[in-house]
Amino acid sequence: MEKGLKLTDILVTIIIALIFGVIYKLWGPLYGVVATLGIHLEQLIYGMWFIAAVVAYLIIRKPGVALLAEVAAAQGEFIFGGEWGVATLIFGIGQGLAAELIFAAFRYKRYDMLVASLAGVAAAFASIGIDFYYGYIGDLALWNLLILFGTRIAGAILISGIFAHLLVQALEKTGVTNLVRPATKEDYQALG
Amino acid sequence: MTTIASMTNMRLKFPGVDSLLFEDFSLSIDRGEKVLILGPSGSGKSTLLQVLTGLIPHAVEVPMKADALTIPESWGFLFQDPDAQFCMPYVDEEIAFVLENLQIPRERMDYYINHYLQQVGLNFDDTHTKIQTLSGGMKQRLAIASVLALEPEVLCLDEPTAMLDPEGTKLVWDTIKNVGEDKTVVIVEHKIDQVVDFVDRVILLDENGTIITDGPKQQVFDHHKHVLIEQGIWYPGVWEDYMQDKSRHITTPGNTEDTKPAVHLSDFSAFRGKVKALQVEEAYAHPGEWVTILGENGAGKSTLLLAMMNLLKTTGTYTILEQDYKRIKHLAEYVSFVFQNPEFQFVTNSVYEEIAFSLHLAKWDQEKIARRVNEMLELYHLEDHRHTHPYQLSMGQKRRLSVAASIVKEQPIILLDEPTFGQDAKNTFAILEQLDQLRAQGTTIIMVTHDLNIVKNFATKVWRMEDGELVMESPAPNYLEMLQPAVIS
Amino acid sequence: MAMDFSYKETWLHKINPSLKLLIMVFLFIHLLMIHNTNILINYMVGMLVLYLFFTGHPWKRLLVISIPFLLIFLTSSTSMIFFGKGEITWAKWGLVHITEESFFRGLHLGFRGISFAILGIVFALTTRPVYLFYSLMQQFKLKPKYAYSFMAAIRLIPLMIEEMQTLHYALQVRGVQGERGIKEFYKKIKAYSIPLLSQSIRRAYRIAVAMEAKRFTNHGNRTYFYRLSFSKFDVIFLCYLLVIIPLSYVTATHFPYFSITDVRFGS
Repeated sequence: MEKGLKLTDILVTIIIALIFGVIYKLWGPLYGVVATLGIHLEQLIYGMWFIAAVVAYLIIRKPGVALLAEVAAAQGEFIFGGEWGVATLIFGIGQGLAAELIFAAFRYKRYDMLVASLAGVAAAFASIGIDFYYGYIGDLALWNLLILFGTRIAGAILISGIFAHLLVQALEKTGVTNLVRPATKEDYQALG
Repeated sequence: MTTIASMTNMRLKFPGVDSLLFEDFSLSIDRGEKVLILGPSGSGKSTLLQVLTGLIPHAVEVPMKADALTIPESWGFLFQDPDAQFCMPYVDEEIAFVLENLQIPRERMDYYINHYLQQVGLNFDDTHTKIQTLSGGMKQRLAIASVLALEPEVLCLDEPTAMLDPEGTKLVWDTIKNVGEDKTVVIVEHKIDQVVDFVDRVILLDENGTIITDGPKQQVFDHHKHVLIEQGIWYPGVWEDYMQDKSRHITTPGNTEDTKPAVHLSDFSAFRGKVKALQVEEAYAHPGEWVTILGENGAGKSTLLLAMMNLLKTTGTYTILEQDYKRIKHLAEYVSFVFQNPEFQFVTNSVYEEIAFSLHLAKWDQEKIARRVNEMLELYHLEDHRHTHPYQLSMGQKRRLSVAASIVKEQPIILLDEPTFGQDAKNTFAILEQLDQLRAQGTTIIMVTHDLNIVKNFATKVWRMEDGELVMESPAPNYLEMLQPAVIS
Repeated sequence: MAMDFSYKETWLHKINPSLKLLIMVFLFIHLLMIHNTNILINYMVGMLVLYLFFTGHPWKRLLVISIPFLLIFLTSSTSMIFFGKGEITWAKWGLVHITEESFFRGLHLGFRGISFAILGIVFALTTRPVYLFYSLMQQFKLKPKYAYSFMAAIRLIPLMIEEMQTLHYALQVRGVQGERGIKEFYKKIKAYSIPLLSQSIRRAYRIAVAMEAKRFTNHGNRTYFYRLSFSKFDVIFLCYLLVIIPLSYVTATHFPYFSITDVRFGS
């Protein structure tokens, strides 16, 4: 057996990521329209940009998948001409790493809504960290900055935590996830 | 003769499934043999091919073990889905991908690319052609070319023409026969009329993956024909046997021309974006008629259905039971539509809910819904699966469900896009019979198909499409008569 | 998606894709360190020239693509203009507090956003993904299993978009219509995403198996159909940047547009 992710895992992760990459790309203008208001309502939907990592991990359940998915989705958004250019890649790496760390902290053994939400929150923190350099958000009025924090984290929980989990649950019912989940010891023992 | 591939006491189990798929399964194939493996869906035919080539367990993790296993030294694998075997966007790049894997030096790649394309009869002015622009048949031949680049001794073919039209099917099999002549070939198929003269040995599996029989083809076909029928295999003469068995005669509604037309199209056009994609001068369909829409790939058959469902921008006259379609508020009350891929039509999590869906939308009361759904479940043989997720059904069940869910409100007109595509014989006949019953009750059936047997045995009328235009409207028997010379030659 | 449209090949297309990507990343980091709007504007103009004259795409397409740029400008700037810190008040309505500092900081963010957008779109318009991944394998030793997975997955995107159209029709026929409310919105998203995801996952899985059936392995050497190396076009690109960037600093010092030279608060 090969170490690390198998080709099937990688290809499935990347296709999931690219689908979300397309959504990320479409999400840009939507985000933009909401954002012009200036009061950070747009932050509620920011969480969409963390979803690839969570969904891919919940489907494939292996180490490395969350990071790969988020980077691939960012790469996808980038090569489809996303409005934020290279910035997307940097954010992708940061957000992917953050989500990956949460899954690792639970030893890749938990796939529930709580862990998904935590991963979303971690990704949100990573994005906020980068935004200090990227968007001078430290120079916002404090109340405004706090709204930004609050809404972005709430959005992360809502979209990349709860929604992502529901989505994967619905997908599990179709049976397609069985394709990519590893076989268990019991399965091997049943061979006799 | 030398054995080229074999397995002794192979056991295999899919994760999450309770029972073993193969239990102490043994098989041996000799060099140069042409073997056909038959079996119902779920019998593990494709799985067997993957074990035989070592794809299981090396590429696909499925728990398995065997006392002894001989994998051929060089083999090539042709898969079913033309869109799921390429990893590169262009023809030359795809073959180059295989050459790269084999570490062929760059200087020799162009020569090999042309060489293998020529072997499968694909000629391009420029091999840097987008794979996406090729027809299904061409894609499969390209897949054969990239398999040939492996210079395999053994060819494994997993229903390579299941997703192709008759013309593509024939071309692909001709190519396979041509290149496979001096090789060992193992074929999994359920449409076997093109391959029977090519193979010499047939292995028949049952639904548990046990061998029912294994021997020279004539012997298998002579002694186990009932199994072929039972399993829904498309063997040569299956239609004749079926029609004889049924001894049914089409009750051609003689006086349809007198009744008011169910559908009337006149100077009707449809547009995709700004491009005109469809033109119909004049066409009629009456209650109790079965219209088949025939034509090449890309002739506009599906476009016609989409236009009749008012999913595209249209102009001209289109009446449904003598009402202008623009005046009809809910077209879906009159016309139902069955898409080619059933999965796209499923919107709920269970078979029961799927059929009940439109009834809920129409605000039927619960009791009435339950009664109607149960009736449909029984009619379409889905009673045992009422709580199953639609995606978990077999291909045949999915198709039956998509038909049942579409027509549950007994709309007077049914549009279907190749509903028998990729189905085994048993399911095909089951669907056709159900449609025929509806037709006999006065429903108008309008259906895209490539299958002339359906035209011959079920249809009453043919609409022929060419280049986005409906060029001919003709009673089915007349149409077939007109084709006769061509069919004989 | 550069792969779907015809275009004229220009020198920007012939730059080594890995190098181009690397330079883009450096430019990104460098841009983050520019806090002087005067420099940034000159810098942006330098990039705009590449976009307008050297991508090889027709004018009309370039125009359509640039519409979101304006949006980017607004997105990136408004909240900073309205709510950023500052001492020289220009206007104040309730919570909205526009100061000179916040205004210029917002402006700066807007230009920065546009600069990133232009750089990104120039890259997207002039780089074929296949070349990028071949180059990443050859120049950056990216593992083939990742590179080919990317290429295979990108091939599937147009297929998926086609399926989305069919799915759209099918759902319309079934009467899945947009009603208002979060729950309906969720239902609708699910109605689209479940079929598309499951279809794509199955297809990706099959492609991976097919690739291994064609003897793709991650071990050992492989030859390459496309050899991507460095050329004079890389030098031209580097020279262009080496002229434009210092030039934007120099002109910003001698011919400033605004008097503020650092938009950060308290500087």
